[in-house]
Amino acid sequence: MTTPATQAPSQAVEASPAQRRATTELSDVSVIVGGQGGDGTLTVVDLLGRYFRKRGLYVYTSRNTLSRIRGGHADASVRACRDPRAAIKAKADLLLAFDQEAIDVVRTDLDPDALVLYDSTAFKADYPNSLGFPFATLVGGQLGQPIYKNTAAYGAISVLMGFDDAVVRQVIEERFKRRGADALDKNLKALEMGRQAALSVPSAVNRWSLVEGDAHNLILTTGNQATALGFVVGGGRFFAGYPITPATEIMEYLMRYLPNYHGVVRQGEDELASINMVVGAATTGARAMTSTSGPGLSLMTEGIGHAGTAELGILIADCQRVGPSTGQPTRHEQSDLAHLAHLGHGEFPKFILSPGSTEDCFYMTIDALNLAEKWRLPVILLMDQALCQNAATVPAFDLSKVKVERPSLVTPEQAAKLAEYRYYAFSPNGISPFAPVGTPGVTSQITGNEHDEWGHVSVNPVNRNKMMEKRMGKLVQARDELPRPRYFGRKDARIGLIGYGSTSGPILEAMDLLDAEGLATKYLQARTLFPVQTEILSPFFDSVDLAFVVEHNYTGQLARLIREELPQYYAKLRSVLKYDGFSFRAPEIAGPIREAVHGSKR
Amino acid sequence: MVQSAKPTPNTWCPGCGDFGVLAAAKKAIADLKIPPHEVVLVGGIGCSGGIHNFIDINGVHALHGRLLAQAVGLKLANPQMTVIAAGGDGDGYAIGMGHFMHAFKKNASILYIVMNNETYGLTKGQASPTSRLGFEGNVEVPFDAILTALSIPTGAFIARTFSGDPKTMTAVLSEALQFNRDHRGYAFVEDLSPCVTYNDTFKEWREKIVNIEKLPGYDPTDRSAVFRLCTETMNAGKIPIGVMHRPSKPSDPVSNPLELKLLPDNVGPARADIDLEHNLAAYKALLASAA
Repeated sequence: MTTPATQAPSQAVEASPAQRRATTELSDVSVIVGGQGGDGTLTVVDLLGRYFRKRGLYVYTSRNTLSRIRGGHADASVRACRDPRAAIKAKADLLLAFDQEAIDVVRTDLDPDALVLYDSTAFKADYPNSLGFPFATLVGGQLGQPIYKNTAAYGAISVLMGFDDAVVRQVIEERFKRRGADALDKNLKALEMGRQAALSVPSAVNRWSLVEGDAHNLILTTGNQATALGFVVGGGRFFAGYPITPATEIMEYLMRYLPNYHGVVRQGEDELASINMVVGAATTGARAMTSTSGPGLSLMTEGIGHAGTAELGILIADCQRVGPSTGQPTRHEQSDLAHLAHLGHGEFPKFILSPGSTEDCFYMTIDALNLAEKWRLPVILLMDQALCQNAATVPAFDLSKVKVERPSLVTPEQAAKLAEYRYYAFSPNGISPFAPVGTPGVTSQITGNEHDEWGHVSVNPVNRNKMMEKRMGKLVQARDELPRPRYFGRKDARIGLIGYGSTSGPILEAMDLLDAEGLATKYLQARTLFPVQTEILSPFFDSVDLAFVVEHNYTGQLARLIREELPQYYAKLRSVLKYDGFSFRAPEIAGPIREAVHGSKR
Repeated sequence: MVQSAKPTPNTWCPGCGDFGVLAAAKKAIADLKIPPHEVVLVGGIGCSGGIHNFIDINGVHALHGRLLAQAVGLKLANPQMTVIAAGGDGDGYAIGMGHFMHAFKKNASILYIVMNNETYGLTKGQASPTSRLGFEGNVEVPFDAILTALSIPTGAFIARTFSGDPKTMTAVLSEALQFNRDHRGYAFVEDLSPCVTYNDTFKEWREKIVNIEKLPGYDPTDRSAVFRLCTETMNAGKIPIGVMHRPSKPSDPVSNPLELKLLPDNVGPARADIDLEHNLAAYKALLASAA
């Protein structure tokens, strides 16, 4: 720590100094930053995230914004932990508030010992344990612009949490160096003003100290970015989509990445155009994808069915949000699975895969591209808002772990040696070799009508049966190649949990809570949701007395899907559900399980 | 040449206007000497949308109203392909209207042929977006695709032809395809193609058509002049046909910069080398910059 302030901006407003505590060491800290959209809340979270990462801690950030461009309450949180936690901490330790609304909105999410640090320029906090500095006035007076108030607040937090000064500065330099010398200089000054203000209040200094972690060489990324990167590495070269929260970032990242690899990104006039552009692109052998969310998925349904029967391998990322209709565009839910599992009119094969973590989004996108092309069918990458948009620290992506495989593809060299080519040739595993449109010497007929092997329209009942069996048989033939679940917890536990997507983070944390109480659990993280992996789920059910399916919807969609395929385990199935638009906090999962096992609340 | 899908026997009613389009398309493709594997016909839904079954090139049978989206996706993924989208007036102007408008904006170098018969023939004669007032109880104003196309300020090639005049149609389709193959942008041709079963307008249309190219003041580079000639012709109870818009000079910059960018080294999404080893260095740099 540097010496305390020489200048004393003792404009600090401190409530409840009696509650002052000795320095508390934290190995798991959560900070919420709240205010109006445009207050720079995300910047503070970003700065804190960068600092925590430099200290070897795992970081998980989330944001709570409204569906509007500016204004309205917005908050974001950052959790830093010595253990890898991909979940929002149940109760936050510190709130940085730019208005009273920020306090009122997150009041119930604060730890009883939490401190509210706030900008006293505009208001006096109505909260028992609070500390206010006029950040906007401080920086506005000297730098001429109050917009640096968030950097000043970061400076104050660095004092409260006993941060290393040099690293605190380094973070500012990294974050603002691209904005030019003037912006960097002003942010460094604002940082110092915030620090000095906090240093002038003895009770604020080193209120907490943060342990150091050993999580190094990690990257901070979101599911959407990891998916976009996986698409490029997996050979994806064509993307068409329509802007929709929370899927849009996939398109935006690809607009940056793909042009460097002969790739094309086009924004469709709607989701109908987007899915059909993807279908058209897929006929040429280009690996193609779209991303969307509930309302767009509904519009794409006809196109996905077309790909299924025309046997075109395409990838659809569904970033689930609260539905139906426009629902809550910026909020979290897992309520599209029932629709997807029974997608569309008629019957066609498709795989529904779900990445179990931010890191998994990268690798699974590559697997999904390989599977879509090999099996010539639509693959849905089922994600959710928290997985898509919350940022987590993950190990750097390892290219030695990935493969780009094209076993179904007929190359021009191979085509030249063919005597004949049937686009929909029957084969033992249902896969017809795939010669893309444009292959020299080959002309194909590709159709959504029922067809014979040549792609000619057919109403012959014998052919219809054979074609249905060829296509639908892929769901059985491909079983061994589909992503397998991951298992966590105690092998001999008699209490099982099942979940997918972002719920893995809070589930794993809940298991630790239960473990500490002596309640052993194990977790099956489902990564292939359709076809339902009955041969894998059955032994899991056999090994437990109760299985809790944890998911974000009202009707227990995954539990119902499992029950449809494995009715014999009906009596063991329980649902832990949440549909208020926010992702699970660990106690919300541990609670119902504890209650069900012990028969009452404790 | 690999033995692959061959054309199937035709299923249209004898005398259908669509035969004129089929013959003209075959002739234009042959005249331009495009190898069959380099040309694809994306058909819509309806009698006319089945045209891809009757011609010895690649065929894609799209969803109802979505043929343009599929054709654009195909073209952008493989710009070396010659891409024709073809369907009826219901497919293009009703269920596919959103894509009809946006195809001009997208300006991919594809040819879209709408076979307009002013009815839904395959479902047995209901009113379509171009049906005149009173046809099968129609109370809606008929849609005019040429006037609409002329009002969208792009460099598209726009023409209207008549199935009763296959010679002119062949010339127009040849020009449109060459326009596409030069990557000059989108080409739209509406062919007046009577349904001999549910709305036989051959005789009436033959009497009413006026070749706009022969009218005084005709200038295919001047949208407003052609628009005025069209409305005057229609007000006189006649039907204008001919080349409605032809961007000024072939030497003008091609209108789809994306296609142009994909072309110089003959690479686009479809031909990109996606081998992991070959891209390893680039991917490492990408992952490093994204971290």
